[in-house]
Amino acid sequence: MNRTLTIFRKELIDTLRDRRTIIMMIVVPMLVIPVLMFVAVRFAERQQRKADTKQINVAVIGAEFAPELDSMISGDSLITVVSGVAIEDVERQIRADSIDGAVVIPSTFLDRVNSDRQSAVQLYFRSSRSLNVTERRLREIIDGYDDAIVSRRIVRRNLDEQLFDAIEIVAVDISTMQEVIGKTVGGFLPYMFILFMFMGSMYPGIDLGAGEKERGTLETLLSSPANRLEIVLGKFLVVGLIGISSAAISMIGLYVAVTQIRDIPAEVMAVVADILSIKVVGTILTLLIPLEAFLASVILAISIHSRSFKEAQSSLTPMSFVVIVPVMFGLMPGVELSWQTALIPILNVSLASKDIISGSINPLHLVLAYASLLALASASLWFCVRWFNKESIIFRS
Amino acid sequence: MIKVEGLSKRFKLNRRMRRELGEGFMKSPSLEALKDVSFECRPGRVFGLLGPNGAGKTTALRIIATMLRPSGGRVMVSGVDVEEDPRAVREKIGFLTGNTGLYHRLTALEMVRYHADLHMMPTALFESQKRKLFDLLDINDFADRRVAQLSSGMKQKVSIARTMISDPPVVVFDEPTLGLDVMTSRSIINLIRDCRTQGKTVLFSTHQMSEVKLLCDDIAILHKGRLYFNGSIESFEAQMQMSTYEDEFIRLVGED
Repeated sequence: MNRTLTIFRKELIDTLRDRRTIIMMIVVPMLVIPVLMFVAVRFAERQQRKADTKQINVAVIGAEFAPELDSMISGDSLITVVSGVAIEDVERQIRADSIDGAVVIPSTFLDRVNSDRQSAVQLYFRSSRSLNVTERRLREIIDGYDDAIVSRRIVRRNLDEQLFDAIEIVAVDISTMQEVIGKTVGGFLPYMFILFMFMGSMYPGIDLGAGEKERGTLETLLSSPANRLEIVLGKFLVVGLIGISSAAISMIGLYVAVTQIRDIPAEVMAVVADILSIKVVGTILTLLIPLEAFLASVILAISIHSRSFKEAQSSLTPMSFVVIVPVMFGLMPGVELSWQTALIPILNVSLASKDIISGSINPLHLVLAYASLLALASASLWFCVRWFNKESIIFRS
Repeated sequence: MIKVEGLSKRFKLNRRMRRELGEGFMKSPSLEALKDVSFECRPGRVFGLLGPNGAGKTTALRIIATMLRPSGGRVMVSGVDVEEDPRAVREKIGFLTGNTGLYHRLTALEMVRYHADLHMMPTALFESQKRKLFDLLDINDFADRRVAQLSSGMKQKVSIARTMISDPPVVVFDEPTLGLDVMTSRSIINLIRDCRTQGKTVLFSTHQMSEVKLLCDDIAILHKGRLYFNGSIESFEAQMQMSTYEDEFIRLVGED
C-alpha cells in the first residue's frame, strides 16, 4: 500500500476510536440543529401564546373626556382598567409593574374631535418589556376608534372614501418561496455547516499534530521510511474527511429536524425538500471541500507548531473568529455575491450557499469562488508541508 | 555500518530560547549542539554513545535517523549518505527510544502492522517476521489488545517488535532504558545482544556506565557537543586513570 494511504488508514482508525472526535464529528452536528430548531419553534409558539392571552392592567386617565374610547378599552376582555391613577404617578407605577400602560385623554378631546379636528392621546408603555403587548393592543383599539371617527366624518359629509385613499397598492411578489427561504435562512445554513466543519476538524487536527508530539510517537513516525509530504498528506486527508463528514452529518441533522417538526406548512416542506436535494447539497459540498482543505491545513500547521495538546487548543481558539466573522458578514442584509466578494474566502462560501439554496447562483461567481478557495487551500497545504519540514517547528520544545 | 565524519549541528536561537539558556547565550544567534564529531559503528558490534544530558547524543542520533539535517560533516548509513537519500537510510534503520512511541488506541498487532506497511513489507514476509518476533517476545497473548490496556513491560515488547519488524540492518536506540523497570530494561539489553549476534550495527545512547560495561564493544564520549573519547572498550580501559568507569568519565569531561 502507498505510504500516504497507510498513514491515512492508520490515522482514521486511531481517530475514529477517540470518543471526543466521535462526539464532535457525529453526535454534536447530528443533534445541535434538531435541538436548536425544536427549542426555537417551541419557544416562539410559547411566546406567541403568552402574548395572545396575557391580561394587561391599563389606567385610562381622562376617561370621562372620551367615553366611547374608554368603553372600547374596558370592553376588551384581556384588559383590566385600573382606576385612581394620577397622571404624575403613571411612570412610577409602570416601572413598579403595578400597571402595564396608560392612556391619557385631554379634556379638549371631544371638542376637537367633534369639530373635525385632531386630538392627541398619550400612550404610556414600556417597550423594553419582552413581549410589548401593551402598546400593540392599545394601538389596535385606538386605531380602530380613529377609523370609526374618520368613517363617520366621511359619511356625515357625504364624501367618497377613495378621497382619502388615492392609491391602493396591489403587491405582486414574483419571488418563489425557495428564493425567499434561500435569502433568509440560506445564510444561516452555511454558517452551521462551516462551524461544524471547523469544530469537527479541530480535535483530530490537534491529536494528529501536537498530540503525536506530546505522546512521543512523532519521532518514531519521522524515523520510518515515510517522508514528510506523505505524513502530512495522510494526516491532512483524515482531518479533512472528518471535517467534511461533520458538515454532511449536520445536513442530515437538519433534514431530520425539518421532517420531524410538526406545524410546518406543506408548501414550505416542499421547498425544504428542494433545498435538501442532491443537486443543492452536492454543490454546497463542492464549495465546502476546498474550504475544509484550507481549514485542515491551517489546523494541522498550528497543531504541529504547538508543543502540547493544550497549547494547540489555545492557539486554535482565535481561529474560530477568523472562520465565524466572514460568515457573519455573509448574514448581513445587502451583502451579495459579486465578483469581488466571490474572491473572499469563507465569505464567498456563505454568500454562494445562499444563492445556491435560493436557486439564483451566477455561474461566473461560482467559478471565481472555487478558484479563490482552491488557491487558498493549495497555499495553506504548501505552508503546512513546509512547517512539517522545519526542524525548529517539528522539534520545538 | 554507520560512519560519522566531522559532524556538526547548529540550532538557530530565538529570543525565548536565548532567555531560557541563560546569560551566556543572550548574544548568540545559534547554539552549537555538535562540533566536528567523528565515529564509526561496525556491523556485529555494539557502539555506545555516552554523555550527560545535553551532550548532543539525541541530536547525533536524530541526524543519523535523518530527522535532523547536519550543519556540517557527513553521515553514511550502510553506504548511503543521510542527506542524499534520507528515505533509503530510514529503510535500513530501526529506531527505539525509552518512550515507547506507541499509539494507545491501536492494538499491538495493528501497531506492528502499521510500521511494516510503512516499510512496504510484503504480507508473506510480514507474517513470518511477525510470527518470529511475537513468539520471541511473548506478544501473542495480548496481540489484539489495545496498547492503552497494556502494562509498561508489554508496551516495551510491542515497541521492540515495531522496531524490528522490518529486520533492519542498523538499529539505533536513544536512551532505551531510561525510566524503565529492571525487567523491561533487561528485555532491551537482551534485544541489543541479539542484534549483535545477528550481525546488525547497533548504536545506542546512554548516560549509564553500567550499561556500557555490560554491552558495548566500542564507545564515544560526548560532552557539550564535542567528542572526548572514541575507541574500543579495551582502549578505553587501557587509558583509564581512575578506578571506575564513572570516575574516568568525569575525569575526561570534567576538566571542561
